[in-house]
Amino acid sequence: MPHVVKSTVIDAPVEAVWGVLRDFNGHDKWHPPVAESHVERGWASDRVGCVRRFRLRDGAELRERLLTLSDADLAYSYCLLETPIPLFNYVAHVRLAPVTDGDRTYWRWESRFDTPVGREAELVGMVGEEIYQGGFDAIRAYLAKGAG
Amino acid sequence: MARAYVSTVIDAPVARVWEKVRDFNALPRWLPLVRESRIENGEPSDRVGCVRDFRLQNGDRLREQLLGLSDYDYFCTYSILESPMPLTNYLATLRLTPITDGDRCFAEWTAEFDCAPEAADELVTNIGQNVFLAGFLALKRQMAS
Repeated sequence: MPHVVKSTVIDAPVEAVWGVLRDFNGHDKWHPPVAESHVERGWASDRVGCVRRFRLRDGAELRERLLTLSDADLAYSYCLLETPIPLFNYVAHVRLAPVTDGDRTYWRWESRFDTPVGREAELVGMVGEEIYQGGFDAIRAYLAKGAG
Repeated sequence: MARAYVSTVIDAPVARVWEKVRDFNALPRWLPLVRESRIENGEPSDRVGCVRDFRLQNGDRLREQLLGLSDYDYFCTYSILESPMPLTNYLATLRLTPITDGDRCFAEWTAEFDCAPEAADELVTNIGQNVFLAGFLALKRQMAS
């Protein structure tokens, strides 16, 4: 089972980064591949168990369920329910921690999943680079604009 | 229960930093505050349960016991058995985590302990700034040289 781990440091206080990330329905505001997001059944996006439906810029749709949300640990986890991309049993974890030396933020994003045989490297690269590393860069740009 | 937490980014690969800090008997080699250290009963310093007996530059003596050590998760957990500080139930963890974006490392040092309420602020500041942060800054200097 592939395991993708990406981590970075964001030059902003942890409260500012968590303020953006904790909104499970907010990825369309900052993550470039996400064109539109809504939470099913009108649930609040911080209600554990809620399901978000994404439409990506390429038209693909996917659904993800919030499994954990902790304001105490600055962490959340979620799983994929439906996706056109062959990622199975996908569970991802996001965790922030304050870098007290400089008032910055450490951000770790990781997941485990199954893939069809022979496509591991391609999908690990896609998840790690386009989604996670791309997300790090997007949050940097989003916070630099003074948003969040 | 009082809590001290300090974290920083060290501009060196996690394995290099871990090599330095995993030795429970190595404080005098990187923590400026510590003058000398030995492991009791001649035990190896990576044997969980071993006790380090060390002296600070000011002559204070402490004994600490290794409770957890992981070469996989890069952490070290220990407790204070004896110290001149007015605290009890002191449990600390030093943890390193790789930062994939730049091959650096995120270093966290946490301590939790019981003490008189009026002593908490001073102890948290002393432990957090004079020990943990000072140790991290020394590590950063050593990694850069």
